[in-house]
Amino acid sequence: MGRIDRTKRRILQQAVQENLATLRGLPPARLAPARRRWRGALLAASPLLVPGVLVIMALVWASTVGDSAAPPEGRTPQSTTQIRNALPEALEPRPGKPPGTPLHSLGVVYPDLTLPHPPTLDPATLALGIRKVVLDPGHGGDDLGTTGPLGLVEKQLTLDIALRTAELLGARGFEVGLTRDADTFLPLNRRAAVANAMGGDVLVSIHVNWIPNRWVRGVETYWLGPTDDPFIKELAAAENRSSGYSLADFRRLLEGIYADVRKEESRRLAEAVQTELYSSLARLNPALQDRGVKTAPFLVLVATEMPAILAEVSCLSNDEEARLLATGKYRRRIAEALAAGIGAYAQQRATGAGSEGSW
Amino acid sequence: MSEKKNVVHVGIDLGTSRSAVSASNGQRHIVDSYVGWPVDMVARKILKRSVLVGREALENRSMLDLHRPLERGLLKEGSEKDQEAVRQLLAHLLALAGCEASARGDVQIRAVVGVPAEALRVNKQQLRTAFSGLVDALLIVTEPFAVAYGIEALLHAMVIDIGAGTTDLCVMKGRYPTEDDQRTLLNAGDWVDEQLGRLIAARYPEASISPYMVREWKERYSFVGESHGTVVVTAPVKGKPTELDITDPIRAACEGLVAPIAETMLDLIARVEPEYQEKVRHNIVLAGGSSAIRGLDVALAAALQEVGGGVVRTVEDPMFAGADGGLAIAMDAPDSDWEKLVA
Repeated sequence: MGRIDRTKRRILQQAVQENLATLRGLPPARLAPARRRWRGALLAASPLLVPGVLVIMALVWASTVGDSAAPPEGRTPQSTTQIRNALPEALEPRPGKPPGTPLHSLGVVYPDLTLPHPPTLDPATLALGIRKVVLDPGHGGDDLGTTGPLGLVEKQLTLDIALRTAELLGARGFEVGLTRDADTFLPLNRRAAVANAMGGDVLVSIHVNWIPNRWVRGVETYWLGPTDDPFIKELAAAENRSSGYSLADFRRLLEGIYADVRKEESRRLAEAVQTELYSSLARLNPALQDRGVKTAPFLVLVATEMPAILAEVSCLSNDEEARLLATGKYRRRIAEALAAGIGAYAQQRATGAGSEGSW
Repeated sequence: MSEKKNVVHVGIDLGTSRSAVSASNGQRHIVDSYVGWPVDMVARKILKRSVLVGREALENRSMLDLHRPLERGLLKEGSEKDQEAVRQLLAHLLALAGCEASARGDVQIRAVVGVPAEALRVNKQQLRTAFSGLVDALLIVTEPFAVAYGIEALLHAMVIDIGAGTTDLCVMKGRYPTEDDQRTLLNAGDWVDEQLGRLIAARYPEASISPYMVREWKERYSFVGESHGTVVVTAPVKGKPTELDITDPIRAACEGLVAPIAETMLDLIARVEPEYQEKVRHNIVLAGGSSAIRGLDVALAAALQEVGGGVVRTVEDPMFAGADGGLAIAMDAPDSDWEKLVA
């Protein structure tokens, strides 16, 4: 076989491998035994850790679903698709009767999420590791998100970055789940339900910003909380548009969550991610602004049962950032920064606990 | 090998403006990437067809709900009609190549299709969905790679594929190109059309011109550098056919392509290992419909002078280079790989 034929053969194999990777979606790395150990630890600690939310949710499941709907043995999801299919029925919209509260006019009933405020608790004292990361690529399907001057579409960028981040996290030993792994629409309340069903330890929702002042470029990271900033209110309103919740639902959900144990952990995660995003991207994008860690009432963060943040990883309204976002190199850098931020947070948790780190 | 008797391999260059197909049965066709549906019963009666594709659609556009289903070399987002349009376009291309879904019997269709160098993974997934049911197996590669493979410029070479929606640059290093080896620019044929339309409108504000006229003029007269005479076209001014001198606008619009392509070309060369940079500089190939702009190769070669000079040439058949390359890939890929790539 001549040199050119050998080169062709090798190149063709690489092309086929790339296609197979696209076909497969994500190769999530798994640490199944470790996960089971961690699951045991979580169960043991749950009376201390889990504020009324999970307890009441579990009761609701038990009382409404019963044995017939119990997950079969070995149901621990093995892929994103399977994870999605394995969504507990109690978290699926259920036609029918209480227990539960109607969330919208279609008569769909979700478990009641109105809960007593949990006692203040420092989760660092619980020595729990971070094993499973749920990534939430913003928008999808008919919900395009924002669009940029070069014709870039937020829903595509967020999915691309999420898939890259998932690969990086998987390679480093994290279990990874995605709320969507294709161009599909998923309302915000379903995103939260999917993330909860996956049993994620943290949720990172990935978005691309659009700022009226087109000269501004920067990164910012949000965790759940109130805000008086009119720009952030507007941004949250835009991101919350396809929530599936009513205003009354939202108010009720927030009542139980602002005092949640997740608040402090979400802030720490947001700080770790924001630090990595800014320091990493500024090397390729010197005019980048560090727009900081902020609070905002993004609905995707509301109904999740784990520390959750929303990262605005770039500004599509800025021509230069749009040009950078059009390159795979910059999107990869964003993914690396997100993975590094999540890793740094996991390391903080592990170090604080005095146990082995997963990063 | 006997199974291959029942296989037709197809290379497709799915272009924003034109699409090309080359098949192992010898069929080669180019189609304007337009799909149109008659707007009403009268149009349907006149056209005697429920859907028109390609040049026919373009020529009868006044009676059609006309769609150009690709944008920047990718499937357009947002409307079901565009999704249907791309399926119709693909089906039409395959039918021209003798691979019509309804008539192919037990013949397997294996297709290689090119996408812009920096297409997102989600774009590739959408493309797979569009091909579903039309072919049996599908391999997606980047457009400049398909060109490079077809002309065997796989090592120490650069392909610059200038289409309508995107210009794709790719350095070939004897491996399947990575993200770092490729760039996609949105300065391409459509961008030239926009600039040209704007410049003509500024010079002749009372002239009535359409994007289709502008595109036709560009394809016929485009050039950079020295003009070979005056470019005069005819367009209505207040309803009266009038001759317009568009020499300067067409030169300015086309020359707008040179700087971004040259800058990206030099940047990619600078990232090649130092000992191979000269080889790459002397093996730069232009392909794609917009590579036919007269003098573009000379202008890019001039840009190479600042780094020691080089050679820029245009492939023999720029419109088919991508499709022919795709066909070469399709025919070289072993059965064992195709079996994994079910569409």
